Amino acid sequence: MKELVSILDGNTFMVSDREGDIEPSFDFPTGLFSFDTRFLSKWVLTLDGERLHALSVDTGESYRTRFFLAPGQPTHYLDAKASVIRNRAIVGSFEEELTVLNHSGEEVEFSVRIEMAADFADLFEIKHARQKRGRTTVTVTDNELRLVYRREAFHRETVIRSSAPAQVDAAGMTFRIRIGRNSEWTTRLHASTIVYGARGEDIRATLPYGGSRSADAIRAEQQELIDRAPKLGCDCEPLAGAYRRSLNDLAALRYESIALGVRLIAAGLPWFMTLFGRDSIITSLQVLPFLPELIPPTIQMLAGLQGHRVDDFRDEEPGKILHELRYGETAGFEEQPHSPYYGSADSTPLFVILIDEYERWTGDVALIKRLEPHVRAALEWIDTYGDLLGTGYLWYRTRNPETGLQNQCWKDSWDAISYADGRMPGFPRATCELQGYAYDAKIRAARLARTFWDDPEYADRLEREAAELKRRFNHDFWITDREYYALALDADGRQVDALTSNIGHLLWSGIVDESRAGKVVEHLLGPRLFSGWGVRTLAEDAGRYNPIGYHVGTVWPFDNSIIAWGLWRYGFRDEAGLICDTMLAASRYFDGRLPEAFAGYARSLTDYPVEYPTACSPQAWSTGTPLLLLRVMLGLEPQGEHLIIDPAVPPGMGRVELLDIPGRWGRVDALGRSRGPQDGQDT
Amino acid sequence: MTEATERFFESLPARAPTVLRGLVDGTLQIDLSTDNQTEHWLVRMRPGAIEVSRSRGPADAIWYSSAELFDRLIAGEAQGVAAVLRNESTFSGNVVLFLGFRRFFPNPPGTRDPREVARKAAGRLG
Repeated sequence: MKELVSILDGNTFMVSDREGDIEPSFDFPTGLFSFDTRFLSKWVLTLDGERLHALSVDTGESYRTRFFLAPGQPTHYLDAKASVIRNRAIVGSFEEELTVLNHSGEEVEFSVRIEMAADFADLFEIKHARQKRGRTTVTVTDNELRLVYRREAFHRETVIRSSAPAQVDAAGMTFRIRIGRNSEWTTRLHASTIVYGARGEDIRATLPYGGSRSADAIRAEQQELIDRAPKLGCDCEPLAGAYRRSLNDLAALRYESIALGVRLIAAGLPWFMTLFGRDSIITSLQVLPFLPELIPPTIQMLAGLQGHRVDDFRDEEPGKILHELRYGETAGFEEQPHSPYYGSADSTPLFVILIDEYERWTGDVALIKRLEPHVRAALEWIDTYGDLLGTGYLWYRTRNPETGLQNQCWKDSWDAISYADGRMPGFPRATCELQGYAYDAKIRAARLARTFWDDPEYADRLEREAAELKRRFNHDFWITDREYYALALDADGRQVDALTSNIGHLLWSGIVDESRAGKVVEHLLGPRLFSGWGVRTLAEDAGRYNPIGYHVGTVWPFDNSIIAWGLWRYGFRDEAGLICDTMLAASRYFDGRLPEAFAGYARSLTDYPVEYPTACSPQAWSTGTPLLLLRVMLGLEPQGEHLIIDPAVPPGMGRVELLDIPGRWGRVDALGRSRGPQDGQDT
Repeated sequence: MTEATERFFESLPARAPTVLRGLVDGTLQIDLSTDNQTEHWLVRMRPGAIEVSRSRGPADAIWYSSAELFDRLIAGEAQGVAAVLRNESTFSGNVVLFLGFRRFFPNPPGTRDPREVARKAAGRLG
């Protein structure tokens, strides 16, 4: 695959090749996108009819890139008479400053051309190209090209303007220019992405934050967020680099929802630039100790969109928390169910877990009290619609076989859930980590009921149910002769016996019997699951194992951060530290930006973590991973009005200090230091 | 105004204690248009209660729909968020009120309890 360059601001983003060009693509989403619509599908620069090649690309900032280009193909004797700089940014809309430099000693005439087109493809149409149902019209005026897409009241526009005079036609703009010797020529191109809403206005004009901001405003806002986060001081450069990068990317992934008018965090570039229940909750859990003020808008929107009726197309039921909300044409015209789609069985218990964790850090009792009915409805969903077969477990089975998801757990690709020999079970399925989340949700909700809702009876009942669930789970899911928990139960109650990373989530939830934790840990860090860089999604000897299979062999940083949290919970600090250490080591190979997933090859085989071909990056819960790893290493745990700090820094990492950790205690500092043979004198 | 719409609004106060919960608090104006006129409803919502009147604002949010779309929404045949996404319906102001009000809309016609369906398929029900 060609190397691609991405810039983003919230969920408006551009993906181009290394020259800055965009050509129509139907596999990987290249182009200018906003709110799930492609507003530019073609953007190709030529100089005197010739394509350019990149001398260098500056990708230092998330929302801005500079391409330094020269005409023709690269040769050893490069002696270009001209070069081009494309300086571009996403600032709500898209801006490109195009400069042509004449390096010759005489005046030269150039023809600069940019081919432009917009196919207004919905993100869901990229992989499965199809005829658009609406009509696109093109209007050419002075220095302006306007591309309009309409389908009934659905109306999107791309408006491209040039500051320098241009010859505009339906397929682009041409500039016939003369540049003096050793001089340059510049034009500013501006492409607005307009989403029409009420009374024919751009919908973003009516939002609190508005659509467009200047580059300075973006920089200031990102800096402000970074300034608010705790300061990290450490000897370990990969940790410092990953932390810095994570804060930058979190700032970049925030967007203002056109449907909701609040700031949310998009899940991942390029496929998932929208609100996901599971991803936003996990990211919130990771980020909470660092930037707690990012959490309430997410909680409130998930609560506001909580399921209220039975809708088969959307896999919706009362009390259920959404899986995915999209803004595009296919969602609007109900060709896809994402308005929102509710096909996940874990977002509901995770929602309860997040609310409890949020209160434990912030003491925001007012919000917790207002959310009481939503938490109760979520708990009721767990016991009613979630328990599809009435066996006391969470099950899933889509009622929308055409466009719904078969697997409604975090491993949601079609082949993710299998027996050890590779066969796949029928539906419904009850994966193990769902039961762990349900257990944890009940334990945590019991605390909320007792402390804030003045309902000790409900609290007692929840605790009884949780204890009963734990007892049953340890009986039904434990594979006695192999000494690990089954991945799932099939519809007949039989164990789906593949060895997977899911057992690590069980440690995080606390559903694992103390006596079995040691065995679970041995499996997680044994050669079948542990690659040397992290825990694989599926064991190396499983029938469906594939080191570059999305959920069947790759290593997911977020998965590992939850596993590290679980290891810590059960007191396995060294093992948790090992995962922190290997993840941070892997992050070095991605410039501090852990991708969605990387290949599951053994570290001894490849020496570096091999990139997963179409991984999203930045991906919110990978971005949150270094933050959660820091929490695990420093042992940060709220208790009452205080923050417990119990560091266990992996050997060789040296000093780790985190200053001004926000919470109900005000701000406190945490200091840890590794103690091992390579750390010299213990202090 | 259709009879179904009027009956729907009449039913709201009695349903509010079970339907309106949690974060909802404020006034939503609902503008229903036909070819030649717009009819205004004003609903003042808070947890457990709703007051309905035939008037205009002041409101914390306004939601615009055709009378025809509204009839489909209150019959469970259309879904509110999708209608907004395709711009058949629009709103301005505090979105939580729109999300709260949408809870009064019923299941799509003919919907069966998914538990019954799943248990039958798994052979756990006769």
